[in-house]
Amino acid sequence: MIRTEHLTKVYRMGEADVYALREVNLEIKDGEFIAILGPSGSGKSTLLNMIGCLDTPTSGSVFIDGIDTASLNENERAEMRREKIGFIFQQFNLIHTLNALENVALPMFFAGVKRKKRLERAEELLVNVGLGDRMYHKPSELSGGEQQRVAIARALSNDPEIIIGDEPTGNVDTETGRAIMDILEGLNKEGRTIIVVTHNAEVAARAGIRKRMRDGRVLD
Amino acid sequence: MRDKFLMAYRSIRERRTRSILTVLGIAVGIAAIVALMSVGYGMEEAITSELTVYADVIAVFPGKITGPRYVELGGFTDRDVRDVQRIGGIKSIATMTYDAAEVEYRNKRVPIFIIGGDTKELGSFYLEPVGLKEGRWLRENDYKACVIGYRVANEFFSEKVHVNDKLVINGKKFIVVGIFEKGSMLYANDVDPHIFLTLRATKEVLQTHEIKHILVRVYNIEEAEAIAGEIKERINANHGLDDFATAMTMGSVIDQIGTVFTIIRGVLVGIAAIALVVASTGIMNTMLMSVMERTHEIGVMKAIGAKDSDILSLFLLESSMVSLVGGAVGCGFGVIVAEVISFCASTALGIEMTAVVKPAVLFGGIAVAMVVGVLSGLYPARNASMMSPVEAVRYE
Ligand SMILES: Nc1ncnc2c1ncn2[C@@H]1O[C@H](COP(=O)(O)OP(=O)(O)OP(=O)(O)O)[C@@H](O)[C@H]1O
Ligand SMILES: [Mg+2]
Repeated sequence: MIRTEHLTKVYRMGEADVYALREVNLEIKDGEFIAILGPSGSGKSTLLNMIGCLDTPTSGSVFIDGIDTASLNENERAEMRREKIGFIFQQFNLIHTLNALENVALPMFFAGVKRKKRLERAEELLVNVGLGDRMYHKPSELSGGEQQRVAIARALSNDPEIIIGDEPTGNVDTETGRAIMDILEGLNKEGRTIIVVTHNAEVAARAGIRKRMRDGRVLD
Repeated sequence: MRDKFLMAYRSIRERRTRSILTVLGIAVGIAAIVALMSVGYGMEEAITSELTVYADVIAVFPGKITGPRYVELGGFTDRDVRDVQRIGGIKSIATMTYDAAEVEYRNKRVPIFIIGGDTKELGSFYLEPVGLKEGRWLRENDYKACVIGYRVANEFFSEKVHVNDKLVINGKKFIVVGIFEKGSMLYANDVDPHIFLTLRATKEVLQTHEIKHILVRVYNIEEAEAIAGEIKERINANHGLDDFATAMTMGSVIDQIGTVFTIIRGVLVGIAAIALVVASTGIMNTMLMSVMERTHEIGVMKAIGAKDSDILSLFLLESSMVSLVGGAVGCGFGVIVAEVISFCASTALGIEMTAVVKPAVLFGGIAVAMVVGVLSGLYPARNASMMSPVEAVRYE
């Protein structure tokens, strides 16, 4: 279960303070599929980054399975990202010097999984997202949709409970977006918690729960 | 661990152009250090080895050297030579007579220094180290023959002098039987502008019986100073003067040059220090650049669960591999450059000189590459790994 308490993030821009998140209290139960909507600049990405342990709050806390992530040290937070969370970016963010297989295997590399085992699992994951014939392609040799599917496979690498997607369909066409949502839906059926930010009503419609954000607040 | 090596290797190979540039950036700096040091050591070796050939020689002049001035006080007598011969520890003695004479060749007259002495002794002092370019050396009964220095043959007259040409020295005809090679460094002034005759011919041409120069070789270089003192004392006693003779050991000359060397070495160290700073800045720059442009990648790795220590160890491996290769390539370049510089210098200056590549310099070069390379690679990697993943991912 994920819970935020008075979660606040303030960016200092010179003299002015920008409140990206204001006292956000949100609860996401295990196995939920939640879509977050809202106008640009409302704080959606900031919220996902806090939940995904990619950034630290100014005040307030994020609890994942009862652990206050803000109280963890850097190594423990890295471990949290590695084991419990799979993050999917709008820009895919694959390592461009590695091929699809190696990209998918990378989180297992950091987890200390043996080479043979991690390549086997990476292969399996790529087959599952329909890229069995693209394993040795570099990101630059893949389409946007294919890259995003590699990114999803990478997010699943260490079998996390939570999948977070910040506009995962934002850089692909409608058809590919649907395919990606199919995959996410499948993962949700396996029992994983899915949190996606989207601007797309059709995508949002497929989530079990929708939340709107405005000016750093989550509306009811 | 093997995985990390593979990963680092992959990352270097995939970024081929960047890696080559980084290696080159490091190599250039290291090459500068290695080349400078090797040329410097080569120069030092060239001069000392040339000097040590002479180390057992004592030169005896009738006169006094005060600073740059040499005041000649006449000549030595046969009695002086006999007295010197009686001193223990002396291997050989060469007596020489010299003076300027008017030399004519194809209607051009030039004053030239004539040196005469026992042909064997002259040979051991001049022929052995310099060597002949053409013709042959003087024989004891060559009263009408001469051997000329390189500049006499090529520069002093309007036309070049060849073997079998005739020179007129103070009105007497001599046939040129040999021409010296160009003398290197020490010998350039001793041989190149002179004409060599047998002792008898010299005495005739110069109308003198005086001996102007005694060269003594000793068995034991360590005794040279003491023997030189004794020579001086005996000759001075013969002439009843305190400062009639000057006896100079080459060892003392070498000592003097030794102080020059400490200066040269100081300059070398200075140049090396500058090269080091230049090299280090270059290495730092290329390394900083190549790691900084990967901040985004570092961010992504962190986002998918890499610890700071994972990232640091990856970059530590990568930058030490690149630095090692850069250092090694730089050493190779440096040696080649040093050889080329030495070759050019020896042909241009007429010095016998080869680059001296000391293993310590090579190890030092690689060590500098490693230390500077790794530190300047780790610094930006550490900075990037300390950013929050979001910040680093956003970095372009
Ligand atoms: N690193 C930063 N420095 C300063 N301000 C920031 C930073 N990151 C975000 N912000 C500000 O915080 C607010 C929320 O940004 P956030 O990226 O969370 O919006 P968003 O809802 O994801 O928008 P979009 O739909 O355009 O992605 C914005 O006003 C933004 O300008
Ligand atoms: Mg956003």
